Amino acid sequence: MAHTDPVKVGVLYSETGVTSSIESSQLFGTLFAIDQINEAGGINGREIVSVRYDPRSEPAIYAVLAERLITGDNVKVIFGCYMSSTRKAVIPVVERWNRLLFYSTLYEGFEFSEHLIYTGAAPNQNSVQLAEFMTSTFGPRVYLVGSNYIYPYESNRIMADLVSQHPGGEKVGERYVPLDATERDFADVLNDIRNVQPDFIFSTVVGNATQNLYRAYAKAGFDPARLPIGSLTTTEVEIAQMGAEIATGHYTSAPYFQSIDNDINRACLARFRERFGERAAPNACWEAAYFQVHLFANAMRASGSENIDVLMPHLLGASFDAPQGQVRIEPSNHHAYLYPRIGLANPHGQFTIVRETRDAVYPDPYLVTHALGDWALRMNQVEG
Amino acid sequence: MRSANGSTQDGGKQPSTRASPQVLRDLRSLHVCVFHPHDRDGELLTQQLQRIGCRVHCFWPPLRAPVPGSDLVFIGLYPDTMGHDFAWCDADDAPPVVAVVNYENPTIIDAVLRVGAKAIVASPVRSFGVLSALVLARQISGDLKRMKKRVSRLEERVGAARKIAEAQEILVRQRGISKLEAYKAIRDQAMGKRVPLEDIASAIVTADEVLSSGR
Repeated sequence: MAHTDPVKVGVLYSETGVTSSIESSQLFGTLFAIDQINEAGGINGREIVSVRYDPRSEPAIYAVLAERLITGDNVKVIFGCYMSSTRKAVIPVVERWNRLLFYSTLYEGFEFSEHLIYTGAAPNQNSVQLAEFMTSTFGPRVYLVGSNYIYPYESNRIMADLVSQHPGGEKVGERYVPLDATERDFADVLNDIRNVQPDFIFSTVVGNATQNLYRAYAKAGFDPARLPIGSLTTTEVEIAQMGAEIATGHYTSAPYFQSIDNDINRACLARFRERFGERAAPNACWEAAYFQVHLFANAMRASGSENIDVLMPHLLGASFDAPQGQVRIEPSNHHAYLYPRIGLANPHGQFTIVRETRDAVYPDPYLVTHALGDWALRMNQVEG
Repeated sequence: MRSANGSTQDGGKQPSTRASPQVLRDLRSLHVCVFHPHDRDGELLTQQLQRIGCRVHCFWPPLRAPVPGSDLVFIGLYPDTMGHDFAWCDADDAPPVVAVVNYENPTIIDAVLRVGAKAIVASPVRSFGVLSALVLARQISGDLKRMKKRVSRLEERVGAARKIAEAQEILVRQRGISKLEAYKAIRDQAMGKRVPLEDIASAIVTADEVLSSGR
């Protein structure tokens, strides 16, 4: 192969289906990074070319398309997946063909594959911080509402565990709705919430249904100042879908928000808007999708090949100055050191950051019992 | 590996005088019930069990209980299947369970514990590992059953000994005889009536309770 041949990479983010909006933002984060790398001369002079398909938010289609990318298009590296079920569908494929998947979404932990790099938050990088903040600010009685799949089950287990460590803390309700839930599906849940009067709601609702929960909440007349929703998955994308007015007053725990005040982030956002305008709202999943392509390109510059066996040693331990801060891949578990933050949704459709960490937090995907209080000392209040 | 006479050798299997364990010899006569969705994993699992030589019956959705006479049950425990009712697993005489899982987080592991699985097969299913899981589950469940039987026999014996001691004390108190004499009296009664010692002891204790409550 000549050294000027393009480097083909696979891209699997859904542009249709239940998680189309958030995954489209990951798609644009990926394409943006590829553009940037190509404009700067590619990888050792080789252009990155993306081969992209729409898996339509369906796990089985992810598996089929991952196979097509590998056997038909001969890609060695795939960027993609949002829901855990879609990642689980792709893992056997990349393992069978000895290929590499970059996964840029927060998830529930308890996984490791030699064939993955995980750049989204593990529970010790978002759930613990959210539990700490919500219980200390609003009280320890939580109501859990989630989409009906594995990430919410396991995330809710962790949250229930965390609040129970707080005096008087308990899970007062736990409900699941379909992935394509409508406002009507949430009306019933909200009635129950009115009856049991929790201190806060933990939402693990994902994708396009998220807006319906917050809308139903607003229509039911609840007050975020007294009973807010805390989430790990309600990002700037979901807020754009529901409207700033509906979102204001609710909280999200994530390593990245558009509102992060540093030069790298500001420059990155400006360049993104120049190129893609308002086609996607930058958010934590967008940022991870963006920086993981740079991690890949840097590793391949050093290895000279995109074959997983030669590429991986250059990825493990690699760091990158991402918009959230300097991130690094932990060699022992292939997850990323990230910067937990708590954001309060504001009337401008953005998050006001109310807590943040100074140092990147080690990813610990196999932690069963998280301790409330560990992070209190390390999260700093941000002056408004 | 340590050989029968206690000496060790570096590597290699020691020739064994043991016949193949019963649990391995039974494989061909096993009736295996599979509760697994009819997908690729379900197919691979069924085929491998048939290759091993078991008689396999695959059902989805799961039946309310395994087919009567099942020696072993495989259950596909996935996020979207763990909500099914597997209450039959709680019964004392339920056949051993092997769980098939594709996640390894506490939520799923908790479901694995709730069905009382004795072994695990990982999804995506490979032919390798099914036989070991099957044998381990049968062996562990057999060991547990034998252990339970032994424990209940021992519990009975301890209970009987306690009863006899209690009866002895009553006789010592009421008749002013020694403990040994009391024991002999109970034994003579039992031998004369051809009943176990603890039956006589129970009768003495019950009679004493009746008499003392009437006081």
